[in-house]
Amino acid sequence: MMLALVSLAGCRNSRRDTGPPAVSSVSPQHHAQEEWFTDHAADAGLNFAHFNGMSGELYYSEIMAPGVALLDYDNDGDLDVFLVQGQMLGPGKHASQALLPPQGPLPLEGRLYRNDLEVHSDSTRTLRFTDVTEASRIQARDYGMGVATGDFNNDGCTDLFLTNLGPNQLLRNNCDGTFADVSEGLGKAPAASSWSVSAAFLDFDRDGWLDLFVGHYVHYSVDANIRCFLQSGGPNYCPPQVYRAQPSTLYHNNRDGSFTDVTAAAGMATDFGPTLGVSTADFNGDGWIDIYVANDGQPNQLWINQRDATFKNTGLLSGTAIGGEGKAKSSMGVDAGDFDNDGDEDLIVTTLTGQGSDVYVNNGAGVFEEQSARTGIRAPSLPYTGFGVGWLDFDNDGWLDLLTVNGTVSRDPQRPKELFSLQQRKQLFRSLGNARFEDVTGQAGAVFQRSEVGRGAAFGDLDNDGDTDVIVANDAGPVRLLINNLGNHNHWVGLRLASPAARPSIRSGRDLIGARAGIARRDGSTLWRRARSDGSYASANDPRVLVGLGHSAQAPTVKVIWPSGRIEEFANVAIDRYTTLHEGSR
Amino acid sequence: MSRGAVCLIVGCVYAALTCGCTGKPAPPAHVAVQQSTRQPVSRSALQPVALPDLSDAATTVAAQLRDQYAALTAKINDPATTGTDLATAYGEMGKLLMAAEYRDAAEPYLLDAQALAPDQPRWPYFLAHLYRLRGETTKSAASFERALEIKPDDGATLVWLGNAFLDLGRPDAAEPLFMKAQSLQPRAAAGVFGLGRTALARRDYRRAVAYFEQTISLEPQASIVHYRLAMAYRGLDRLEDADTQLRQKGDRDVSPADPLLDELAGAVHSEFAYEHLGVEALNRRDFPAAVALFRRGVELAPNDPSMRHRLGMALALSGNGPAAAAEFQEVLRRRPNFASTHYTLGLLIAANGRYGEAIEQFKAAVRSNPSYVEARLQLAETLRRSGRARDSLPHYEQAATLDPRLADAPLGYAMALVSLTRYADARDRLSESLARYAGRPAIAHALIRLLAAAPDNRIRDGSRAVAMAEAQLAQEPPNPDLGEAMAMAMAETGRYDEAVVWQQQAMAIAERAGRVDVSKRMAENLALFQHHQPCRKPWRDDAPVSADGPSF
Repeated sequence: MMLALVSLAGCRNSRRDTGPPAVSSVSPQHHAQEEWFTDHAADAGLNFAHFNGMSGELYYSEIMAPGVALLDYDNDGDLDVFLVQGQMLGPGKHASQALLPPQGPLPLEGRLYRNDLEVHSDSTRTLRFTDVTEASRIQARDYGMGVATGDFNNDGCTDLFLTNLGPNQLLRNNCDGTFADVSEGLGKAPAASSWSVSAAFLDFDRDGWLDLFVGHYVHYSVDANIRCFLQSGGPNYCPPQVYRAQPSTLYHNNRDGSFTDVTAAAGMATDFGPTLGVSTADFNGDGWIDIYVANDGQPNQLWINQRDATFKNTGLLSGTAIGGEGKAKSSMGVDAGDFDNDGDEDLIVTTLTGQGSDVYVNNGAGVFEEQSARTGIRAPSLPYTGFGVGWLDFDNDGWLDLLTVNGTVSRDPQRPKELFSLQQRKQLFRSLGNARFEDVTGQAGAVFQRSEVGRGAAFGDLDNDGDTDVIVANDAGPVRLLINNLGNHNHWVGLRLASPAARPSIRSGRDLIGARAGIARRDGSTLWRRARSDGSYASANDPRVLVGLGHSAQAPTVKVIWPSGRIEEFANVAIDRYTTLHEGSR
Repeated sequence: MSRGAVCLIVGCVYAALTCGCTGKPAPPAHVAVQQSTRQPVSRSALQPVALPDLSDAATTVAAQLRDQYAALTAKINDPATTGTDLATAYGEMGKLLMAAEYRDAAEPYLLDAQALAPDQPRWPYFLAHLYRLRGETTKSAASFERALEIKPDDGATLVWLGNAFLDLGRPDAAEPLFMKAQSLQPRAAAGVFGLGRTALARRDYRRAVAYFEQTISLEPQASIVHYRLAMAYRGLDRLEDADTQLRQKGDRDVSPADPLLDELAGAVHSEFAYEHLGVEALNRRDFPAAVALFRRGVELAPNDPSMRHRLGMALALSGNGPAAAAEFQEVLRRRPNFASTHYTLGLLIAANGRYGEAIEQFKAAVRSNPSYVEARLQLAETLRRSGRARDSLPHYEQAATLDPRLADAPLGYAMALVSLTRYADARDRLSESLARYAGRPAIAHALIRLLAAAPDNRIRDGSRAVAMAEAQLAQEPPNPDLGEAMAMAMAETGRYDEAVVWQQQAMAIAERAGRVDVSKRMAENLALFQHHQPCRKPWRDDAPVSADGPSF
């Protein structure tokens, strides 16, 4: 069998070597002396703080941002970072009138940071980020909410889609370190009261070109901000119910740099809610990408791809629309992953304090059971308002764990003099391997004890050492870079699932998000993981697949189900390093 | 399964768990709790308490809290105060703080009350709810257990503790509590609902179905049960039953009778609390209670347009139209641009057929809030029904753009096109909407009527109208609107005798539903069919739209 394995480590200089040192397999208990995650944002050069533009008017939008993206915009093999920024809110107001003045770099704009990772001869690494916003020609100066990533023009370079309070932006990567604003390709401008948060690129019609789903929240403008109050009479932010939900949009890629709004044609125009989270995956195992939409205070939708460019919402009957209690919840973040290792995509949805996160367990056919209580997630999540969320195997033991970033949406009447009293801790849950989780927040490191207004979270291996790191975007606070110190003590396999290179100057084609990799294990079982950049909250993840192998040092066979439907098998894939698998290369 | 059979299951399972029929009796629910000594602590051992920062609180709330705190301080400083009295003073202060959402501040007060009066179940009960509201389920369960230890037969505590155990993933611990609650109050739904949830958590779908059906029979308005019942049917692969239940799902919860929680809800005397309670009263259709609560709110906040508007709504719903109108006028006198009141007044005026005045109210509402979809739609409707179809079109379109879920907007637009004799456009609009709003019968009805009765020969298609009507009849129960549409279709294809029968049946259904007015209106078409004449008017010019049901 001819294998077409392109080892990144094999073709790059040591500075870009992505393979960590071989180490023995250990469990978290053995590393109690070392913090599992440590924050390295500041010392890596990510001196960015979000500005929410609050002036005391309690504008709704100031509590809902920001997101963050991990993308390799320069194709150098490591993850760069795009950070979403806010602006001053209120007619005629200037940033100098903000209650919480800008802390980060000026001017206030969404910023791109290049990862200048150094891998030393002893395999230690130095993470260093450089602000390349100006050089990239990105101009993101609207009130930013979130970001999605994907190579929509198939040139092998990852593009950006920015969601805003107001019109969104589509930024084409010119493959030379710069981006061009090609938002006009999205067609007619949205309503002035438009507000988008999460978006996802997906190839819903399997034509080899990424389409785009944009989740819209509510019709809102600061001019029409509604005032709400606590029971004590103190002012408070309003719930989404006081505003009207906006319909989300599905764009079809015209393959010429433009998109067509096909929401109505796809059957998605009349069923929507205030959308905050989006996750795309093949939920019913038919090989076509479906869309899960998390709505704030209204039923969620599970749009099952009908394979004819239309979708059918099966949210209610699938059991994923309104949580186990029978009432629509305030769904915020969402991620899909096979946490029970049974070969299908399960869902985690974060919600409001007192509601508890939902864990929807898939039976493989797109029918779900809400099992947050049984899995041990419900009770520990009840005190928190969850936003960013991700399935991640932080200890590389082969079982997906869970991380949530939290922060309330309601002022604390007990701290009236605090300008922004929405802070909560992050949470880490470790899979026990039996479809149950334990709350290991207390052991995860000092950064987990810090209360912040967590919103976006993006998951990926920023230092290419074989474990999943997390970047957290805080509302009105500094970004956090949670470096994983634990995972690469177990073995792992890292995969980039890509199309063939479109042209010689590009290392490979685009990341085939939605592709599923099945890693055959010695015991006969298979771990299924998918390439995804969407999920979480308003954020974009590392599209590579990182699979924990635990103690196993055996090079596994990997079966890939490509978004096109093609299935290929790759034998003896190297462990403890990243490997690119190209569709059609076998 | 019959209710009797369900009761039998409840009885058997409860007996099995409590009488040892399974061989190993379940432990009592409170076994996990350390037995409290129930000895009051000395006053010196109490936790320190303080008033929280009230600088953000409404004046009325701050004053109420300060007064209560002063009363507590007086009790503390009075050596003659008994332990029970002091406990009450601490507890009431804690309760008030809790009701005003000062939950962290409330905790030490309630703990002190509990310590001073360990035989009083109310303090651990409030503490349990305080922890529940903070999401601290384990502590909440422990406090409920303590309350239950003191008052073992309290139905509300049993149910809440059962709920906490379900949250903790412990259905086995929850079940005996729900069993006991059900046996203590067999006519209350909360216990049996808990048993259904327990069964569902265990994937015992057959039993879950039985319990949920029993819950619905005990509390039919508890629409939240339908979703869980649907999930139970789904577990049994009875997907049609599941679908039927999903269509009935709602948000109305099952709650145990809970005087202590009611007491908590009414503790704070502020306009915000009254508004909140008033809205709850409106939701349970207790209009007199809503009027009383909103009146108290208006007394405290006479300049709050929202409160006075709600009072007007409650008065209108309780049948006191003149008083409602007076309140609405007062809102507009104080706040001339208050959109909700313009809208509501518009509705009331339009209902009396005063379309011109209503249009002005709706215009004022959308001028004040351009994205006010309901007002925009009513403006379009009233314009169309008053003969201004052309003027109505842009408002229907704006309403459809603002909220594409509203089937009324495209339907009204098509009806306006018919008024403008643009029959082909109307047909195309309705055909397009048919797929988009599947499950909204009025759109299909309108298209059938248009195909059967459009004055333009090029538009009419009797065969298609009959086929569509037959298809609709397979999907929805007989109703006057569809019946008349079928009669019109029959007449168009020359089947006048059948048209007469359909029309008569439709009129009979309307009469049985108490809609003699509808039946009378339909007599006109009946006469046509009896004279072997087709209908050439799809609907009357002033027919209202209603995409959710018969309307023409």
